[in-house]
Amino acid sequence: MTATQILLAALLTPLLSAALIACFLRRRGVLASLLSVAAAAGICAFAFMAIRSADGETIRAAAEWLTFGNFTVSMGFLFDSVAATMLTMVAFVGFLIHVFSVGYMAEDKARGRFFGGLSIFMFSMVGIILADNLIMIFVFWELVGFSSYMLIGHYLDTNEAAAASKKAFIVNRIGDLGFLVGIVYAYWHFGTTNLEAMSSAVAINPGLINAAIAALLMCGFIGKSAQFPLHVWLPDAMAGPTPVSALIHAATMVAAGVYFLIRIAFLFPESVLGGIAILGTSVAVYAGFCAYGQNDIKKILAYSTLSQLGYMSAAFGLGFPGIALFHLITHAFFKALLFLGAGSIIHGCHHEQDIFKMGGIFKKMPITSITFVIGVLALCGVYGLSGFYSKDAILIAAGLDGKWLFMLLTGGAFLTAGYMGRLVWIVFFGAPKSEAASHAHESGVAMLLPLIVLAVLSVIGGWLNVWPEYLAQFIQQSKEALHHVEGYDAMHHTVLIWGSAAWIVGLAGSLFFYGLGAKTDRLEQVAKPVYTFLNARLWFDEIYGFYVAKVQQRLAVLLSFLDVFLIKGIFVRGSAGLVGLLGMCSRSLHVGNLHGYVYWFLAGFLLLWALAAGVL
Amino acid sequence: MTVGLNAFILVAGLLFAVGLLGVLLRQNTLVIYMSLELMLNAVNLALVAFSRYNGTMDGNLFVFFIITVAAAEVAVGLAIIVALFRRRQSVMVDQLNALSR
Repeated sequence: MTATQILLAALLTPLLSAALIACFLRRRGVLASLLSVAAAAGICAFAFMAIRSADGETIRAAAEWLTFGNFTVSMGFLFDSVAATMLTMVAFVGFLIHVFSVGYMAEDKARGRFFGGLSIFMFSMVGIILADNLIMIFVFWELVGFSSYMLIGHYLDTNEAAAASKKAFIVNRIGDLGFLVGIVYAYWHFGTTNLEAMSSAVAINPGLINAAIAALLMCGFIGKSAQFPLHVWLPDAMAGPTPVSALIHAATMVAAGVYFLIRIAFLFPESVLGGIAILGTSVAVYAGFCAYGQNDIKKILAYSTLSQLGYMSAAFGLGFPGIALFHLITHAFFKALLFLGAGSIIHGCHHEQDIFKMGGIFKKMPITSITFVIGVLALCGVYGLSGFYSKDAILIAAGLDGKWLFMLLTGGAFLTAGYMGRLVWIVFFGAPKSEAASHAHESGVAMLLPLIVLAVLSVIGGWLNVWPEYLAQFIQQSKEALHHVEGYDAMHHTVLIWGSAAWIVGLAGSLFFYGLGAKTDRLEQVAKPVYTFLNARLWFDEIYGFYVAKVQQRLAVLLSFLDVFLIKGIFVRGSAGLVGLLGMCSRSLHVGNLHGYVYWFLAGFLLLWALAAGVL
Repeated sequence: MTVGLNAFILVAGLLFAVGLLGVLLRQNTLVIYMSLELMLNAVNLALVAFSRYNGTMDGNLFVFFIITVAAAEVAVGLAIIVALFRRRQSVMVDQLNALSR
């Protein structure tokens, strides 16, 4: 098989699986889950084969899809080091999450639909990774949006899930509008949407870089990666099954926004990059604060995801896309681990998600707990674990750039350790605080195996030296660039001290403040206004709710009135009524009696005569 | 003794009036049809009279066409009436009112 065929196989295997499940296996959950897992394993195998056959080269292949006049849309692959890294991560983490789902969803009635959704998601995600032009990215971008919608709404009989899936879909549409306009603008500006063609055009003439295009394309990233101001959908998306949260809303899809930015990094001028850095930093800090006001274990992790996405976009904005990719990969490992761990706990506690109703999990579920804690330590950036290397690099980049971003991002690291510490101390230690938690039991092998593998990856994922050279290439370039910035060594020491201080202070502080296995939130008791403030998350949902219900709704009512009254009432119904009236009048002339017609004829004749004779 | 134009026009007018009244007042389709023919022939008479009076052949020419067309029309019209009677068992106008809603 040629490299292109391998990539095509990697793309189409999950689609085939989804099609088979949709057509034949909707009621056969076991077969559907096996097929879906096999497809995920297939992607893994094809990804490794593709990397072997690429052999350090970039693979390009394209075929025409549609032609309108002289405008051609092509579907093609651009498989370089970045795509290879991302594909490996998605394939591998995706496979582990599929395996986990087999255990987690074992008692679900709609398993066929669930695994079909996972397969269609894998198909769309691989499509985004391999795409070589903006239009193809957009097509698969919408497909991941659809599969996200479908999987968030998996428990479709609960209002929460139904509302959350709609919210995720609609909020993403807002970002995608900007994305779409950006694609059109880019085509108008460059005459192509092919990534490499645009890249070489920009390389020849840097004057072609256009801030408007960059900003418009960034809108897509803001929606998909849940950055401010479109971040509101991600916490709600936790209404979906936990493996979905792990796969789509932590490890892969939301990170696809960052991946997209990395793919089009050459389009960004300094001004937009600066904006992204500030945006990412503010989201990192904002989400860190929000996590303190949450009691749902998945929502805490969701805000943590938001915060880490903020770190990634900050790294990108600071001009180090490789480091953003590095954090994306390590984050995927430990955040998938944390979500799957949370899933295992939720499963063990009979679907209890409130951390204040858990407690004492460590004794009941030792393997889950140990792997979870490894994930927490990796997330907090403990020296030697994966999160340390990537976050360290981001903090150094921020520190070399300026004081404010560094202070804020370091503050974010303190916050991260604090809220993760809060979660760990309350959930795993002390005594069980509810009936469900006291009957917690360790999960089965299908769920523990992915946890263990991901825990190992969370530890070693940051050691770039053990990565295959082809995968690490792009990240190493950015790291090299960072090494050569003046003042790197001094900043490295500063960050080492502050980063270590962050996790030690954060974990110890939360232990001191919340205590082991607390029954209630101490922050809520000690400083009620602060807790309420954090819990309100800056009232974003309320503001949007107000906007939609009061401003937009009224405009919609006005427009609807105009539509009903003016267009429907006067134009459409009015003209129809006029014609109908004419018809009624002329119909009344037809009396159905021969003599009547003769009289009408006579009358018409007289009229004609009168006209001709000039009487009238 | 020569008959003047006025006499011809008078007869033609009377014939036409008889035909028109027949069309307006009679119920039997056949009679209405005959009345129509009467009106046509009234016109023919008038045309011939005018032609004679003017000393040209224009009117006569018209009459030939009218007679020819009327003959064809009679054939078609009678056929329609026969077909109508076969279907409806009646040729009375007051019973042929299917179009009145």
